[in-house]
Amino acid sequence: MAGRVQIPTNNSALIAMIADEDTVVGFLLAGVGNVDLRRKTNYLIVDSKTTVKQIEEAFKEFTTRTDIAVVLISQYVANMVRFLVDSYNKPIPAILEIPSKNHPYDPAHDSILSRVKHLFSTESVASRH
Amino acid sequence: MEVADHKAPTLENGQLADENADVLQFMDSMDAYFTLLHSLSSTLRQGWLELASARHSMGAYRVNTVLLDHTSHSAATTLLVTQDEGKVDSVEPRFTLCKWGSSSNEKFLGEKQSSQDQLHPQLRHRGSTQLSEEKTSSENKASCEIDDQVQKGRSKSLSVFGTLVSPKLRSAQLSFETALETLVEMANARSEMLYAFDKVDKKLGDGKE
Repeated sequence: MAGRVQIPTNNSALIAMIADEDTVVGFLLAGVGNVDLRRKTNYLIVDSKTTVKQIEEAFKEFTTRTDIAVVLISQYVANMVRFLVDSYNKPIPAILEIPSKNHPYDPAHDSILSRVKHLFSTESVASRH
Repeated sequence: MEVADHKAPTLENGQLADENADVLQFMDSMDAYFTLLHSLSSTLRQGWLELASARHSMGAYRVNTVLLDHTSHSAATTLLVTQDEGKVDSVEPRFTLCKWGSSSNEKFLGEKQSSQDQLHPQLRHRGSTQLSEEKTSSENKASCEIDDQVQKGRSKSLSVFGTLVSPKLRSAQLSFETALETLVEMANARSEMLYAFDKVDKKLGDGKE
């Protein structure tokens, strides 16, 4: 159909992770770890020494790589680069904010739910009547 | 005149039904997303606890990111990404998890099975009972081969942390595998939610104009 955007089919796409050590280790145990020939990984372990700039660079890198289909990011890490996460609107890779060990998930901060919540605002409801 | 008068309410009813269906689809997908998120939180908590137990029994120096393999290697668990052909105007991707190379294994075994069928066509004339027994036997063999592949993948992943590992580390591995399955479902629910949201938002925008 004319004008329809095509999703590129990929039969071995990667899952990238920007999260704390335990979360990354756990998912690496499940087999998602990938290291390419240039020693680039599909994960960034965030600890107390990780800077916001490093997180931003990792997010930008993972969201522009064509071999990555899903990016998992701990919500507390996403809060550090909230402007980047909220301004991202491509279908692939899909960004999923996940809880972390020391920071429970808060739906109020989720970028997808923030995007859709205006449907439930009183202004939106009133404008229809 | 009467026909035209009857058509206008029918059209409006039809549009209203479409809008209601879109809103329902959006609400359903959002509900699914929240339910999956709740399940994910629970699974991750279990995984973190098992990892902590493994670290306690094996020692912190043995369950450590320093031990991670930084040599070039491919991920054993990947995603299959396709486009949802059911929706005409959608850019909705569909994700399928391939754990430990499972879908590529199944494809290989399927091809192997069909090539064996081509080599022994006379089996078809021997009678249905024998044929079904042979088919079940080959399916079991295929299933065993996939299981072996999965076990090898799991063992290789665990071997980063040493030859003998705590049973808690194996449990943690299974918990995070379950978490991955939930995450892939969440990714699909997210796609559906955004697709339904775009439709509802567009109609709301058209309504305001």
